[in-house]
Amino acid sequence: MGPGKPPPPPRTELDGFLAGAGYKVRSSDLHHVAQRLERLESAMVSSPSHVVSHLTSDTVHYNPADLVSWVDSLLSELTHSYHHPNNSSAPTSSTSSSSHSLPVDLDDLFAIPSAANNWLQPEMPLSQPPQLTVFTTMEEDSGIRLVHALMTCAELVQRGDLHLAGTLVDEMTALLTRINTGCGIGKVAGYFIDALSRRVSGAGSAPASPHETEILYHHFYEASPYLKFAHFTANQAILEAFEGHDCVHVIDFSLMHGLQWPALIQALALRPGGPPILRLTGIGPPSPDGRDTLREIGHRLAELARSVNVRFAFRGVAVSGLEDVKPWMLQVSPNEAVAVNSIMQMHKLLGPDPSPIEPVLSWIRGLNPRIVTLVEQEVNHNQTGFLDRFTEALYYYSTVFDSLEAACPVQPDKALADMYLQREICNIVCCEGAARIERHETLAQWRDRLNRSGFRPLPLGSNAFKQASMLLTLFSAEGYSVEENEGCLTLGWHSRPLIAASAWQASPLSAAIADGDN
Amino acid sequence: MAGSNEVNVNESKRVVPLNTWVLISNFKLAYNLLRRSDGTFNRDLAEYLDRKVPANTIPVGGVLSFDHVDRSTGLLNRVYLRAPESGGQAAAAAPWGFKELEKPLSCTSVVPVIVFFHGGSFTHSSANSAIYDTLCRRLVTFCGAAVVSVNYRRSPEHRYPCAYDDGWAALKWVTSRPWLHSGTENNSKVHVYLAGDSSGGNICHHVAVRAAEAGVEVLGNILLQPMFGGQKRTESEARFDGKYFVTVRDRDWYWRAYLPEGEDRDHPACNPFGPRGRSLDDLVGKFPRSLVVVPGLDLVQDWQLAYVEGLRKSGLDAKLLYLKEATIGFFFLPNNDHFYTLMEEIKSFVSPRCDSLQKA
Repeated sequence: MGPGKPPPPPRTELDGFLAGAGYKVRSSDLHHVAQRLERLESAMVSSPSHVVSHLTSDTVHYNPADLVSWVDSLLSELTHSYHHPNNSSAPTSSTSSSSHSLPVDLDDLFAIPSAANNWLQPEMPLSQPPQLTVFTTMEEDSGIRLVHALMTCAELVQRGDLHLAGTLVDEMTALLTRINTGCGIGKVAGYFIDALSRRVSGAGSAPASPHETEILYHHFYEASPYLKFAHFTANQAILEAFEGHDCVHVIDFSLMHGLQWPALIQALALRPGGPPILRLTGIGPPSPDGRDTLREIGHRLAELARSVNVRFAFRGVAVSGLEDVKPWMLQVSPNEAVAVNSIMQMHKLLGPDPSPIEPVLSWIRGLNPRIVTLVEQEVNHNQTGFLDRFTEALYYYSTVFDSLEAACPVQPDKALADMYLQREICNIVCCEGAARIERHETLAQWRDRLNRSGFRPLPLGSNAFKQASMLLTLFSAEGYSVEENEGCLTLGWHSRPLIAASAWQASPLSAAIADGDN
Repeated sequence: MAGSNEVNVNESKRVVPLNTWVLISNFKLAYNLLRRSDGTFNRDLAEYLDRKVPANTIPVGGVLSFDHVDRSTGLLNRVYLRAPESGGQAAAAAPWGFKELEKPLSCTSVVPVIVFFHGGSFTHSSANSAIYDTLCRRLVTFCGAAVVSVNYRRSPEHRYPCAYDDGWAALKWVTSRPWLHSGTENNSKVHVYLAGDSSGGNICHHVAVRAAEAGVEVLGNILLQPMFGGQKRTESEARFDGKYFVTVRDRDWYWRAYLPEGEDRDHPACNPFGPRGRSLDDLVGKFPRSLVVVPGLDLVQDWQLAYVEGLRKSGLDAKLLYLKEATIGFFFLPNNDHFYTLMEEIKSFVSPRCDSLQKA
């Protein structure tokens, strides 16, 4: 105990040093954790080796940052196995057998069969020839000048000096001619210059038609692992949440082409004990030309379900935006287990007051769902300050485009995937108020919001992590990484998380009332 | 060993603060789960359990960081820098990094650049592991240095000499960055040091040998509880086996996972001054001076002390910092005197005064 030692922290607070190491342990719990660690060690030493190896190979681990519960779950797993040697996959709440996970056979993972059936690329050898030079260390001279200029321009826009900003846009456009705009910094800068130009000139950005959006979405799906990761992880969590339920109802906040659902249908078909009755409610925009796109998708899914003997019913809900959905449209019945699935949709509800997010979260909670799966871009593009938003977006999309270039040389997927992202960039940079719908917020922000709105987290486990990692090995580009973040999973490019998946359920009502703030 | 568990557990608990004990015991048990007796490693679970943190160009505690990926090798380096002090509105608003990467760290004074190799017995952890991100940030703060943490490839998937190859590639990258230069016009260069704990310390040595042989200047080596070994069993291995978080058995496993298959621990990677090693007297004047930190309760200490001896016998400058009551990992949490002693030692080791003394 030397002179430099800091005073001990208050007892209910987290131990600050362990927090710096990534672990959340209350100071008051330290002794308890230490004791459990000692017990765990004794148990590991005295257990037969096959029992201990089961701890690593079959047991599902959850939320390692919460050291207390991690150690406890291992202890109970060990004690259970020890006392029930014939039943080593104990059905405790914190573990599940790996046979309940989604089939890894990739044909199952693929959506409704179509002509573009070639995202399964053969594994490329690890030692690839040097890739295109991309904007990461900014050592290319023109690249640096361009980024300076972009930042300065954004600052001018924030200050309201649109005239000077416009001049800078012209200069940047000229600078662009001197660098390669097919890839790297040139390409990303090009999109941002274009977006700034629209903002400055007042031209703005016209929203894409739903039909266009769906096509771009599909190509983005093909060109990168982000949406597949989202679907895969959400499905895994939904599958687990539906265990033991005979009537299940999935509400998809954005059906698109229904790419997420064939894999879930097939996994449910293979469920030990047989499939449940599955209802799917798909929300989407109204079709302009008299067609009923939602119904067509539903029809195809129904055929698939029939082919694998899953009793299935589909309902489409056509609305222009999620804020227009009323709970009665979903026709949830009391005896069914409900899953609410939102892939990159919730952020659209974060618009200016009266912001629809709270009412929507409230009726979701009112449905008493078994699980809410939420996947969102892992970045804050909802700051009020334009320059901050612009800067975040530049970093974020640079990384996303970087990953696409490495992962997907295939055209036309790539060009259309680029357009999908370009539209997001445009919306973030050009639009304000209700027109700005790409209001991405971070996992930490969503956690906060959902906790306050009467939800509690359902941790995603090491089995989902492992399978997501396996999914990634199919993508020839080294560089994608799945990370565990306090019960949630993120997918990123070279240590920068880009999309975050989390799962939630409604907190018990009494807890919500006690909070007093909803 | 089973019967003496109670005693062992109590002993280690007595010599470290409780939160340190919890942290290192957690690693110990998790790592026990990850190593398989057939020599394979549960990498998926390891990555899942490892607590990682992203880089952050926004200064936190006066330190900012960013990641760089070498396109041709996929090697990731995480760079840590002291936040620029000149705050001005524009500087705060513009993202750090675009302007400053054109200029050297300093044109007036020397700023040491420490190339850091994280520990993990060649198998565990990454540059973005929380414990190492935090440690690197502390190095920047205490020593006023820039730090580059290398995400070298790990065993058993990548055995010897991958970690050394990656370390060498990182050193070459660092020494060729204009924006890591410092010093006045006549002395502007990257003032580079190598540092690492456990396997990282071992990597420092071997990269320094390569550098010396290639004529690349490294100003100093900082080896923190470096991982060395040998076929014969030493007295410290017998005395401390299982007592302070580490067992001889797990050390053996990691060497088997790193060294080429079929090799034993007298392989020069593991035992550089052993029966198959070599003297470095031909590298006097080229091999950097070393600071070797040995925790007094580390079971591998006899090998670490033998390493210091080996350096000195070759005519090389080696300073030994022996911390009598320190266990492995004492430097992860700044809750003990050893941590502060260590930081002071490293700071003075990399301070320009020492450098100029050597030149004179």
